[in-house]
Amino acid sequence: MRHISIRTRLVLSFSIVILVGVLLSAFVGIRLIGNTIIRQAQGKVRLDLNSAWEVYKGQSENIKDVVRLTAVRFFMKDAVSKNDRERLWRELQKIRESESLDILTLIDGEGRVLVRARRPDLFGDPLDNDIIEYVLINEREIVSTQIITEEQLQKEGGDLASQARMKLIPTPKAKPRPEAEETSGMMIIAAAPVYDYHGDLIGILLGGKLLNRDYEIVDRVKDIVYRGETYQGKDIGTATIFQGDLRIATNVLREDGSRAIGTRVSEEVYDQVIGQGAPWIGRAFVVNDWYITAYEPIKSLQGEIIGMLYVGMLEAPYLDLRNRVLFIFLGIALLSVILLSIIAYFTTAKVVRPVRQLLFATEKVADGNLSHRLPIQSRDEMGQLAASFNRMTEELQKATEGYHMLTRTLEDKVREKTEELKATQDQLIQSEKLTSLGKLAAGIAHEINNPLTSILINSHLIAEKLKSDDRFKENLELITDETARCSTIVKGLLEFSRQTQPEKRLTDVNKVVDKTLLLLRSEALAHKVRIHKALDSALPDIMIDGNKIEQVFTNVILNALEAMPTGGDLFISSRILSEDQLVAVSFRDSGCGISQENIGKIFDPFFTTKERTGTGLGLSVSYGIVQQHGGRIEVQSQMEKGTTVTILLPANNTRGQNSKTGR
Amino acid sequence: MQAKVKILVVDDELPVCRSISSALEAEGRLIDTALGGEEALRKEEENEYDIMLVDLMMPGMSGMDLLKAVKEKRAEVVVVMITGYPTMDTAVQSVKLGAFDYIPKPFTPDELRSIVSRALERRRLYEQKIASAEKPGEEESAEPGLPKNLYCIPDHCWAKVEGDGTVRIGVHDIFLMTIKDISSIDFPYENEKVGQGDACLWVVDARGNLHRMWSPVSGQVISINEELKEDYSQVMRDPYGSGWLLLIKPASLEDDLKNLAPLVLE
Ligand SMILES: Nc1ncnc2c1ncn2[C@@H]1O[C@H](COP(=O)(O)OP(=O)(O)OP(=O)(O)O)[C@@H](O)[C@H]1O
Ligand SMILES: [Mg+2]
Repeated sequence: MRHISIRTRLVLSFSIVILVGVLLSAFVGIRLIGNTIIRQAQGKVRLDLNSAWEVYKGQSENIKDVVRLTAVRFFMKDAVSKNDRERLWRELQKIRESESLDILTLIDGEGRVLVRARRPDLFGDPLDNDIIEYVLINEREIVSTQIITEEQLQKEGGDLASQARMKLIPTPKAKPRPEAEETSGMMIIAAAPVYDYHGDLIGILLGGKLLNRDYEIVDRVKDIVYRGETYQGKDIGTATIFQGDLRIATNVLREDGSRAIGTRVSEEVYDQVIGQGAPWIGRAFVVNDWYITAYEPIKSLQGEIIGMLYVGMLEAPYLDLRNRVLFIFLGIALLSVILLSIIAYFTTAKVVRPVRQLLFATEKVADGNLSHRLPIQSRDEMGQLAASFNRMTEELQKATEGYHMLTRTLEDKVREKTEELKATQDQLIQSEKLTSLGKLAAGIAHEINNPLTSILINSHLIAEKLKSDDRFKENLELITDETARCSTIVKGLLEFSRQTQPEKRLTDVNKVVDKTLLLLRSEALAHKVRIHKALDSALPDIMIDGNKIEQVFTNVILNALEAMPTGGDLFISSRILSEDQLVAVSFRDSGCGISQENIGKIFDPFFTTKERTGTGLGLSVSYGIVQQHGGRIEVQSQMEKGTTVTILLPANNTRGQNSKTGR
Repeated sequence: MQAKVKILVVDDELPVCRSISSALEAEGRLIDTALGGEEALRKEEENEYDIMLVDLMMPGMSGMDLLKAVKEKRAEVVVVMITGYPTMDTAVQSVKLGAFDYIPKPFTPDELRSIVSRALERRRLYEQKIASAEKPGEEESAEPGLPKNLYCIPDHCWAKVEGDGTVRIGVHDIFLMTIKDISSIDFPYENEKVGQGDACLWVVDARGNLHRMWSPVSGQVISINEELKEDYSQVMRDPYGSGWLLLIKPASLEDDLKNLAPLVLE
């Protein structure tokens, strides 16, 4: 998981959230819409059922009106009173046909048939019916739906019985019934009393319409309510009148296109509507399709449930609508997921970019690049983060610079101190060497001095005694000369070892140079060395031991002369280094120079490259003297080019001057 | 007939003692040697030497101790110090303590003899002084025209502070008496700086012996007595007057005078 980038993770999690959200809302939406559609359909179906009832009742009222108005007609009173059956039949037959009633029968006050519009031949038989009873008791008109037996139907005439007779078509979900056909019929019957001129009841007029195979009502319902709308060749709206569970008038079609009369309602609906008398509203499988249906019971005058009125709408369009909605919804959901993912992708890009930049920047910082800055692109948390990151790196940079500077100065200081220390140490070593060597030299010199003294004295004494032409005279002179040489070596040694403080007095260094040169003039001439002087006349007098410094100059000049055995130039200059409070006297020769190897050793006592003629004490003695004066000697040399020896003496020692002015 | 001059050579090394003895051997001299301070003191008690040559560096009793001990007993003994190599310290110290002079090792018989000859002269002066002391009153009859503000390094040189603050320098008459005659003098350069106790003059006597003279004060040489260059005898004739040698502008006179003795002329 770790290698998945933060951006992918963000997009993924966004997408999952979006997907879940969309799916959930789609699910809920679909359920809601589905339910709403179904509920609306059911609501509509209920309304449609009401409309169907209106049609049904309209038909009933219509029949009732016809019967009532006919009953109060003059000819009725007249003819009944006169028992003019011929006239009654004619009139009733006219009315029955014009009003397209199935039956129109007049019954006398005793309940016997007076005239049957369809069968003038059959009368006098008693007709027992609930509504006749009702009219007799209540003396007012009534309309109701009644089951009429086959026998009765046959009595009423012609083909009514056959119109009513119906074979039961086996229906899968219906409640099983033993009989194979229904012979009775269901009829809307209206009855109205007939009075004579005195207001006495003289008869009851009975009119009705057989509902079996009469499609007027159902088709009216379909036309009024559904206006004949179809869906994929099927009527959307259907209506049915049931006699019991049997479809007796319907516009629900069988697969062969015929009306589905003779089929029956499902047991479920039957139980609820006929069994319990409660309306049924909901999905139902009608004949061969699912419908959204509403059933309500049709009751007889006595309140007995004898049938049902049904309206139903094909469920398919609603389902299709629902599915369409579902698809649209799902489509929208899918689109949303895609769209939101894209948005998430770019949003995260916006979020991730500064994170990436931050990552990049931190890597740079980790690599030590502290000058990298983040661009501040927004004022949000990312912007603030970038700003504080910048501040942090800035502080870090400052701190690091400070730290670097500190370490650098520290390093410098350490180096400086080390160099100083080394110089002091070198000096210490040098003076240490000189001191211990000085002690040794002093001891040796003293020891050697005694035998030298004896040799010198005795050789001289012998020489004095010898005649001037003695052949040993020469040998003896050699002895005395060599002894003298020994004596100078010892003198040098002792001078070198002498630890006495210099007797410092205010002295003009230029004068010391001059005096030294005066003494060495002949020496310089012998070496064919030209001497060039450049002495600064403004040089202040300084506190030095003139004799010792002269000795130093002598040593240095002699070295220069000795370095130029075939002649050359010696430049002597003096100057004041006011910044260092030093008087500098430089001796630059054009001699052989000093090798890199030797330059570190020239101040060592007894170091010499002049095997027979040098003692190697000249510079070490000079070094000691200059050091006693608080000065130093600097040597620069280049092989075959020459050497510059500079004697540096402090100029700020004015002790002598003070005592002079004190006087 | 004069008594024999008795000389004692003191050195911790026998060959040196012997060599010095043989270099000094001459008619009328009695030379003894001693190999240490204690032995020297013992011998001195017995013999009362005129001149002692004493090595400064000896084990046991040092030459300096011996000098002090001898001078305490007999101030008239002339002691010449022998040093390994002269340092200003030992030189000045020993002279202050009463040494007549010193000679650095190694030296030639000539150098030894010239200093010893001076020592002998000094010894003679002592004897005369002792003799003259027997006629008291002569000391008071000092020359009336003697210059004032006179200081000296005993037996070496004198210094006279002039009214303008400069210092005139000349040779002590005893120094002159010990060298007897002057054949030449080496002078310092004009304007040269000298320190107290530095050799500022080199005097060659008639026998060719070179004698150094120490400067009594430190300072800068203003001028030298040019007249002397023609006739050095002037120094001998009038050492405290026209025989002056150098005029020095002193650097630290007050300090220097403390190290000098006031000069009382006999
Ligand atoms: N100016 C110079 N040119 C070339 N080499 C020099 C110079 N000065 C000194 N040296 C070298 O330094 C060495 C040491 O010099 P130093 O004066 O101490 O002794 P020395 O001259 O050999 O003997 P001494 O001075 O005792 O007679 C010399 O032997 C020489 O090799
Ligand atoms: Mg040298």
